[in-house]
Amino acid sequence: MTRIAPTAVLALGAAAALALTACAPRDGGGGGEALAPPELVTALPAATTPVDEVTWSIVEGEPATLDPVSSANLIIPNLCDNLLSLQPDFSVEPGIATSAEWADPTTFVIELRDDVTFWDGSPVTAEDVVYSLERNRSPESQWFSAFALVTGIAASGPHEVTVTFSAPDSTFRDALAGQGGAVMSAAFGAGAGDGLGTSEAGLMCTGPYELAADGWTPGSEIVTTANPDYWNGAPLVDTLRYVFVSDASTLATALTEGEIDGALNVSPSSRAAFEGEGAGRLVVGPSTASYSFGPASAEGPAANPDIRRALSLAIDREQYIDTVLNGLGEVQRTIVPEFTFQELSAADVYQEGYDALAAPGVDLDTATQLVEDSGEDVSEPLVLAVPAGATEFKNTAQIVQSAAKQIGLTIEIDEMQASDFGAMFYDASAREGIDLVATQGYLETPGVLGYPSLFMLPEELGGVFNWSGYANADVTAHMQAARTATDERTAAQEFVAAQEIFAPDMLQVTLAGAYQLSYVNDGLTGITSSVAMYSSPWALHLGGE
Amino acid sequence: MNGWLMRTLLGRIGGLALTLFLASVVIFSALLLTPGDPIAALAGGAKPTPELVAQIRAEYHLDDPIWARYLQWLGGVLTGDFGRSFVYQTDVLGLIAPRFAVTLQLVLLTVVMILIAGVGSGILAATRGPAVDRAVGLLTALGMALPTFVVAILLIWVFAKSLGWFPVYGEGAPGLDRFWHLVLPAASLAVMFIAYISRVTRSSLVAQLHSEHVETARVRGIPRGRIFRVHVFRNAAPQILAISGTTIAGLFAAAAIAEQAFGLGGIGSLLTEAAARKDLPVVQLVSLLLVTIFVVLNAVADLVSALIDPDSVNAGRPA
Repeated sequence: MTRIAPTAVLALGAAAALALTACAPRDGGGGGEALAPPELVTALPAATTPVDEVTWSIVEGEPATLDPVSSANLIIPNLCDNLLSLQPDFSVEPGIATSAEWADPTTFVIELRDDVTFWDGSPVTAEDVVYSLERNRSPESQWFSAFALVTGIAASGPHEVTVTFSAPDSTFRDALAGQGGAVMSAAFGAGAGDGLGTSEAGLMCTGPYELAADGWTPGSEIVTTANPDYWNGAPLVDTLRYVFVSDASTLATALTEGEIDGALNVSPSSRAAFEGEGAGRLVVGPSTASYSFGPASAEGPAANPDIRRALSLAIDREQYIDTVLNGLGEVQRTIVPEFTFQELSAADVYQEGYDALAAPGVDLDTATQLVEDSGEDVSEPLVLAVPAGATEFKNTAQIVQSAAKQIGLTIEIDEMQASDFGAMFYDASAREGIDLVATQGYLETPGVLGYPSLFMLPEELGGVFNWSGYANADVTAHMQAARTATDERTAAQEFVAAQEIFAPDMLQVTLAGAYQLSYVNDGLTGITSSVAMYSSPWALHLGGE
Repeated sequence: MNGWLMRTLLGRIGGLALTLFLASVVIFSALLLTPGDPIAALAGGAKPTPELVAQIRAEYHLDDPIWARYLQWLGGVLTGDFGRSFVYQTDVLGLIAPRFAVTLQLVLLTVVMILIAGVGSGILAATRGPAVDRAVGLLTALGMALPTFVVAILLIWVFAKSLGWFPVYGEGAPGLDRFWHLVLPAASLAVMFIAYISRVTRSSLVAQLHSEHVETARVRGIPRGRIFRVHVFRNAAPQILAISGTTIAGLFAAAAIAEQAFGLGGIGSLLTEAAARKDLPVVQLVSLLLVTIFVVLNAVADLVSALIDPDSVNAGRPA
């Protein structure tokens, strides 16, 4: 599954405040002060000391709902367990499901632990799992695409669930380690109705932290408490309180002063503040997140792969990483990042395919030639849409703009308000007049197909962001073969074959892989610090050192 | 005098109602006419299918004509139903009330700072000789030039990070802790207004000090303190009050910047977030609340000036 985050960082006057405290973008030419490459950590050592209360800031702002089916945020993973358990290194282990395997090419059997209870003490049954998985079979679910080939979900025993498919699906098992595999109480869900997951109706899950009936004060805070009966051992932090500070400079001050104990996804623009003297430390973890831009329309130069290749050849990735990510990222060869597949059994096949791709490099002559030979009319400026208010995207837009200028392309930047930017993703009319869109996205579970499926397949096969109408029969065939392969090596080989073709077409011009950044108070340890935090209880081992 | 006061009061209340009505129309239609779509908020993060979009549009009457939606909304407001937040799916009033309390406390503290420091320094500048006058003039020029967020950064740097006297984030627990949390935000919000009120106070006082009746009083040998209280300050007060009223009303809107800088959960930060997410019911109610406060405070300031010095009001009006 892939997530595109339209990153809604909003503030009145905050953008200006950032400019004063953040590091100013540097010119690539100067280059004397190289930033030290950070050490990547997937998780901090587990805590040993209990802590009464920890205050954590959710950088993305307050979620609209805590229902795992309709929201992806960093609070839910501590509340609701998924069937399989995603580890910090992005490997998948048993969780509430002791095993989840293919019985035959189209039958998938899930065996459940018999000792797991919801917060209210009621045991988790096969019916609860059927209820939870069924909810994802509606297109309204965020995780619908993982269930696209499912034809039936039924309890086949008190602790066994059988899922049947119209075709084999090599992506399904790993998807159960994500929120699509979240287990919720059927009885509670029936009682809560449409309000499930809101501050009024609440939630009933099995996770290490419980949401009390009055735990969520909308517009203010969400208070969760340790689940003493958690099947995987109770957490050490008694009360985990979430607050919502999205302004990067306010957050950096509150964190370094120790008034907020920690935050995930902190801004790389605050690196200097985080690495200076302060109450805590910056933890850098591996991630699947990347910054990229791609075509928003089937018309015009942006829909031409040559123009995108030219733009890619004009952009200095090292300079991009230094400027936008303050050095906290890495050059990425294509849309699918390495961390996604490194724990898969066919990792060697994926790695070989990845290494065979050309590393992005600067070549202005070739780029200019590509633009000239493309036959496109480039007299009109290309409009690049970015979400307003976020420094990272503002800098991204400026870098793309000045790189394009060097090769004879004019880019006009359109900074869009969060709601307008978000609308582009489902409303074609909101994309009118836009040629290119810059985004940041990440994959929250292992598996390589999510990202390319969204951008390269025809719309009816899941290419919901395939706005340029890209259609390559070979890519589609290999991608489909990869999904329906019954053994992992075949799946990997098919994917690599597709990637060989689609990578040079740059349906997304990948700018950089971004590391997972967390800031944690010095007294605390134990968090998951890799991108696995989106799908696993990152605070389970949180506590004092 | 009483009849006049009643008439003024009634006229004021009538004008107030009319202003609020017009404001509500403007707020409502402006919000509907701005680009962007609340569907993203309403769909709760899912990628909505066309069917879901149609269902949401019907459920929230998004396709009804503006006037119909306005009447529906107005009907709700008049019966105490302010709607539900698109984003939080909860009652808007319940969402706003606790945040309004924070903003109100912030504004009250700011007002105290503004009146003490602003009026106080204005009086000093007008009465303590040219050296003090110049010093105050310099400081107020600086104060007016500094944007609130810059002051906030400076204050955080000095008083929170370096000296460690005050917290840098959040509204704290109600009571003394809340007060402590609000000192820096209030101070950063107050600086510009202190400078402004100081200048207004000074110039009003100076104008009075050089007026004929003060000269006369001085010649008649009335003590300086008495002249200042009875002749100078009393005549200057209505103008200072009127300006202060508008200023205080403006504080509610300006508070957003301080709330943002200090991570306070107030009404201003709620408004900016809600506006960005197209959470229309929240934006509508908060905007209406801010307009109401502005209009009411202005009216109160006018009435109080009228009570202090009826002539000042009558003089401004055709008889």
